Amino acid sequence: MERDIIRKSKVWSPEKIEEIQEKSDLGRYRIRGQATKRADLPSFDDLVFTPAGLSRVPLEGYRERCDTEVIIGEGKVKRPLVLDTPIMVAGMSFGAINAHAKEALGIAATRTGISTCTGDGGMHPVEREASEKLVYQLLPSRYGLNPYDLQKADAIEIVVSQGAKPGTGGTLLGQKVSEEVAHMRDLPPGVDQRSPCRHPDWMGPDDLGVKMEQIREATNYEVPVMIKIGAGRVYDDTKLAAKVGADAIVIDGMEGGTAASPEIQLDHTGIPTVAAVVEAAEALHEIGLKKEIKLIIGGGISNGADAAKAIALGADVVYIGSAMLIALNCNKSLYLEDYKALGTEPAACHHCHTGKCPVGIATQDTDLMARLDPFEAADRVENYINSITMEMQIFARSCGKSKVNALDPTDLRSLTLTSSLITGVPIVGMGHHKPHYADYESSSVEQNVLSQLLV
Amino acid sequence: MESIKEKVIIDCETTSLKQINQKIRDAVKDKVPEVIIENPWASHNLGVGITESIHIIYKGDVGYYALSLCDKVTAKVEGNAGWAIGENLMDGEIIVEGNTASACGASLRGGTIAVKGSSGARAGIGMKGGELIIGGNAGYMTGFMMQKGRMIICGNTGKALGDSMYNGTIYVGGEIEELGNGTEIVDLPPAEYNMIKDRVETYGITAPPSFKKVVCNGRLHNFNKKEFGIWKEIL
Ligand code: SF4
Repeated sequence: MERDIIRKSKVWSPEKIEEIQEKSDLGRYRIRGQATKRADLPSFDDLVFTPAGLSRVPLEGYRERCDTEVIIGEGKVKRPLVLDTPIMVAGMSFGAINAHAKEALGIAATRTGISTCTGDGGMHPVEREASEKLVYQLLPSRYGLNPYDLQKADAIEIVVSQGAKPGTGGTLLGQKVSEEVAHMRDLPPGVDQRSPCRHPDWMGPDDLGVKMEQIREATNYEVPVMIKIGAGRVYDDTKLAAKVGADAIVIDGMEGGTAASPEIQLDHTGIPTVAAVVEAAEALHEIGLKKEIKLIIGGGISNGADAAKAIALGADVVYIGSAMLIALNCNKSLYLEDYKALGTEPAACHHCHTGKCPVGIATQDTDLMARLDPFEAADRVENYINSITMEMQIFARSCGKSKVNALDPTDLRSLTLTSSLITGVPIVGMGHHKPHYADYESSSVEQNVLSQLLV
Repeated sequence: MESIKEKVIIDCETTSLKQINQKIRDAVKDKVPEVIIENPWASHNLGVGITESIHIIYKGDVGYYALSLCDKVTAKVEGNAGWAIGENLMDGEIIVEGNTASACGASLRGGTIAVKGSSGARAGIGMKGGELIIGGNAGYMTGFMMQKGRMIICGNTGKALGDSMYNGTIYVGGEIEELGNGTEIVDLPPAEYNMIKDRVETYGITAPPSFKKVVCNGRLHNFNKKEFGIWKEIL
């Protein structure tokens, strides 16, 4: 008898079969761009806001101010970093993305009063020119590092690790190491670049304290110094970063993106962003430095709801990387043949590691780059940043807050038990201890009603 | 016309770090040719981020990051140096009379660092150019991930020498405890030996009678599944 139902194994899913077969060809783990594709991680979607009603008055959306400004390093350095809205463009290297993408991000960030970040690989002059506020990353690789660029930066970020792959160094496959990238990084062109995961000149937190002093001396205490850590042992790491005197601590959650990482690591290392923010905020509260040190959270932030919830849980600023690329045109339904040639399609592309980005962002190929007009792309990113700002303000105003940064955990409820356990935010319906339940037990009238109902 | 001071003397015993570095910056601005740092007592971050010509003499030991993130500076340390002396030096010359701790010349980009004594672990780690000369021995992972430049070690080296180097050359006068991944020893032509000998002797260091020349063998430049045995240590 012919069977008319094909049962696919849940154990040996099509994805698992494909993964095994690809590895049996590659002879190594799979490397790809973008973030983990896991769908089972706790997320900000498991939380909702509890807007004002009678017990609290909302702000008038059309009339009343809702501030968005955040200042990093205020009272500590000569030129604090002023952000007009609590968003920063996350570090993405010249190399991972090209000069057109860098320029577009810089223009958009300048227009919206936020910062961009060099990423690994040095400060590209186009990026410096386009970005009014530029964060200079100091990474283990030290690619492109020089004291002149250091002194040109508006903030310094010492990168300990990144959320996509905490505990390992960067990867840039040979197809993306063009002549220009190789020159900026002092590498042979076409080499598979593997960055170290430890800094060359410090090992633990005590050394890092001396390193912080070095950077402050080299920049004459002009600009803030931040420390970025991939979310792993968040609670302890945050305290140590605070101890060494960071003006801001960046915690990069496991949903953070990457230009190229081992896929197995993307899926199986790190702490989801929603959990990371809670741990980090708790650590800073505990040592009494929550106000003094700004907490920046990155990893999968895609809209104003994610951003506002992260802020309510204790972040001061959100870092956005992948979504900025999407605003630039990443995964847009254009040049379909080129997506197909990579074995993918729009909305499923993670092929940054190939250097053949169909929309001209994650590539150094000049023909492909020509597809990304920096000025048009800047308009899109600007619109995107503005839309997130407005979305954050919607939540703040509806919760009766005149500052986005005044959102707090009491403005939230959890939708799931897991989320409630992770965040400490009460699950919906459990905002109070329901003392009136006791009344049901004690009140003979209600007992009566109940017993009648039961009949 | 105002005359230029010949030298500035800074006593670390009576001056804070901020003031020391500010005085060095002021001396640079005033075009003073020489700064003398007295009683450094192995303090950290003495003379960082200087990007104009000046000569600095340290009258004793220095701590972490002395002369780091600098350009065009020449200096002499009349003692030992802590971690990462000359880190990321762009150009200039640093002479250390004694020994150095770990990460001497980390991410060196240009100029010369000459250490008359020995050096701890990870000397010349991530070097991107320039020249690092060590009169004595060098420790574990010396030249790790070296990218460019020249390292001359007159004595012995520890394990993992030049591990994962992309490029550059390491000359070793003594014994190599273990070569790092992706490296090999190649022939040293006599003219090259003479050049190395000259460089070493410039700093008053006696050159050994021969050097081994260690370079990148290129086998880690691009992944090759047929050579899994090597890549297993790397990826
Ligand atoms: S469209 Fe380009 S930037 Fe986006 S995932 Fe694909 S290769 Fe990467």
